[in-house]
Amino acid sequence: MNSAPITTWEGATAYFTFADSPGVLALCLLGSLAVCIYAIASMVKHENESYRKLKEEGVPPSL
Amino acid sequence: MEAAELQSRIEALEASLKMATTVNSEVFYWWCTALMISIHAGFLAYEMGASRAKNALATGVKNLIAFAFLIPFFYFVGWYIYNAFPAGFVPGDAAGALPWSANMGPNLEDNASGIFWAAFTLFAATTASIMSGSVIERIRVSGFVILAIILGSVVWVLAAAWGWHPNGWLTSTFGLHDIGAAGCVHMVAGFFTLGVLINLGPRIGRFNEDGTVNEINGHNMPMSLIGLMLIVMGFFGFLGGCIIYTGGTWESIYATPTTFSAFAFNTLMGVTGGMIGCYLVTRDPFWMMSGALVGVISSAPGLDVYYPPLAFLISFAGGLVIPKLHNILLTRFRVDDAVGAVSVHGFGGVWGLLAAGLFASGYPNVEGPAISFGGQFMSMLVFLILGFVPGYVLSYVLKMVGLLRCDPEAEKAGLDVTEVPVKAYPESRIPAFGDGALTPAE
Repeated sequence: MNSAPITTWEGATAYFTFADSPGVLALCLLGSLAVCIYAIASMVKHENESYRKLKEEGVPPSL
Repeated sequence: MEAAELQSRIEALEASLKMATTVNSEVFYWWCTALMISIHAGFLAYEMGASRAKNALATGVKNLIAFAFLIPFFYFVGWYIYNAFPAGFVPGDAAGALPWSANMGPNLEDNASGIFWAAFTLFAATTASIMSGSVIERIRVSGFVILAIILGSVVWVLAAAWGWHPNGWLTSTFGLHDIGAAGCVHMVAGFFTLGVLINLGPRIGRFNEDGTVNEINGHNMPMSLIGLMLIVMGFFGFLGGCIIYTGGTWESIYATPTTFSAFAFNTLMGVTGGMIGCYLVTRDPFWMMSGALVGVISSAPGLDVYYPPLAFLISFAGGLVIPKLHNILLTRFRVDDAVGAVSVHGFGGVWGLLAAGLFASGYPNVEGPAISFGGQFMSMLVFLILGFVPGYVLSYVLKMVGLLRCDPEAEKAGLDVTEVPVKAYPESRIPAFGDGALTPAE
């Protein structure tokens, strides 16, 4: 995959990967945002399940 | 030497000087950012120590995960807000700060954006950490992360755009002077936290039915003290980041000239004034070290202009009063602020801003009127409202949808049981998990 926006360092400015491909930048940005939102949703789910388990099974004996 | 050769050498020298300025600036903020990470490490230790053993890791996870979420969200929106909103709620042109801009990534023509973004991101992490300690032992980590994201990547940075920016409207209208960010960082975070605490409520067992207060002691005071000292160390990065390197001179965020010497004098004198003040009224090492923070915050707005013994006295006064305000919040208003952040940062920030109005009036600003008590007072009110209202409203919404507070069973058992799959002290028996011999507050 050729991600380089430059072919020479002479006169290069913004040289980060896909700097010349707005569509790919948007995908990366939205992907990052989606990961964060998914992680928060996962955190909520984990907590809800833990609370339910604690109610049903009590504190684990090893603790 | 021929004229052409001389000209060529002068041009080479100028290019070299320009590069040295750029490199110095980058290196300076790079290390300020690194030092500021020790603030986060300090809050981590301080809050884990202030938690009971059954909550130690859940408290730590809360700090760590807030750090992890704040950085991408500050990239997504925070830097844009700072650059776009100095005039109020109407955005100005800040296309270079949008996350898809050519400036928001490796760019050979822009040595500044990334390094300033990093420093501001760590300021954002500090604001979230300020809230973090107050809400320990009963907040859901998920709810906290949502609050931390909004506080760190939206609310405080909007306040910074208004009052900690060369063109911020609070400075251009009221002549606000707050060089060490007592308002936009400490006050905003402190009053946001107060709004959250009102909806969150106290820990189980904190208050008796007759209104009297039960002590809830953290499990590791020495860890808390070391954490607080780490925060003090990190403040040197934080305050260094408040100074703009221009190559030839140092400038404040308001473009007024300043020196590192000014900051060195007054930061250290402020730290010690606050420590001694808190020590005198509490004799408590936890409050003595919190007093160091009170001291920095009390003197922060005028670090560039105070006579050092005056900074000491201003911070000393803050140190005398802040623990009492914490007790009033606890006993009269039944606000269970586990580490006193509302008082230390919120009221400490109020005092700092007003003190600059009292003792630094008349100093000229580049933009807007000179420093005045009225201007500092008006700006203080703006920061108070800007911090409290979003904290209260957002935490109320989270409460309504069941995302603010953990289940009471989980709170009694300890949040480590429900939040983390590992144990803080696997070879020790945690008393709270025993046969119910302890009171809920323990």
